[in-house]
Amino acid sequence: MLFLRAETDGEERRTGYEVLADLVAAIEALGEDDGWSGDLTFRISLVVDELVQNVVDYAYNDDAPGDVEVVVTSLDETVVIEITDEGKPFDPLTEAPAPDLTSPIESRPIGGLGVHFTKTLMDDVEYRRESGRNRLRIVTRKSPSG
Amino acid sequence: MGINAERADGTVIAKADGRIDSSNSREFHTELEAVVADSDAALVLDFEDVAYISSAGMRVILLTAKSLQKSGIKLALCSMNDSIREVFKISGFDKIIEIHESQAEALSAVGA
Repeated sequence: MLFLRAETDGEERRTGYEVLADLVAAIEALGEDDGWSGDLTFRISLVVDELVQNVVDYAYNDDAPGDVEVVVTSLDETVVIEITDEGKPFDPLTEAPAPDLTSPIESRPIGGLGVHFTKTLMDDVEYRRESGRNRLRIVTRKSPSG
Repeated sequence: MGINAERADGTVIAKADGRIDSSNSREFHTELEAVVADSDAALVLDFEDVAYISSAGMRVILLTAKSLQKSGIKLALCSMNDSIREVFKISGFDKIIEIHESQAEALSAVGA
C-alpha cells in the first residue's frame, strides 16, 4: 500500500493554486512508484485537482481561509482518495449544479464540470459531514471498469 | 504551458503544450485570445503536446469557441491523447466543437 498525505497551510486563498501543483506532482510520483497506467494517473490527478479547487473556491471565505487535507491511498486493486476540509457544510455531490451537456454552443453555460468528472470517472463517491468537517471519499478501480 | 502559433493565409494553427489547469488557465486564455485575434477564417488548436487539462482549461476552450462562433471563424481541435479526448466526451464538448485525429484532418475540415 502506498499513500500520500498533504495539507495546505491555510494562510492565503491563492496558496491553494501553488499547493495544487505540488499535490499533482506528488500524485504523479505515487502513480509512477506503484505502476499506474497513464490514464489512471490522469484521472486521479484530475479528480483531486477539481475537488481541491472546489474547496479553495467555495468552502472558505477569503477573510477566513482554512486547511484542506488530501490522502491518496493505492491499494491492490483500487485507489482511494480522501479529501477533508473544515469549511462551510457543502456536499458537492448533491449541491453542485448539474452541468448542461447538451445545449448548443452559444447558450452552453460554463461550469459544473469538476463534480461531473468525479462522478463519471470514479467508481464510488461518498460525502459525509462529520465533526465540523466535510469529508469526501472516492474510490476507483485501477483497471478500467467493464 | 505555452502556445506556439503559425499562420497560413487566414488559418492559424496553434499548438499548446504542457498542463492546462487552474494555475495557468488565465494565462492560457490571454495567449489564446491573442491567437484568435490573428485568425481570419479558421483556428486549429493542436493538443499533441498537451498532457493534461482540467475544467479550468475546458472553460477557456468553451469561451473561445463561443467567441469564434460569434465572429464566424471556424474552430477545430486535434491530436488529443486518449485521457483528454475522454474529458471532452464526458463534458459533451465533442458535440459542439469539432475534434479530429490529426492536424491534417483538422485543416481539411476547416477548409484550409
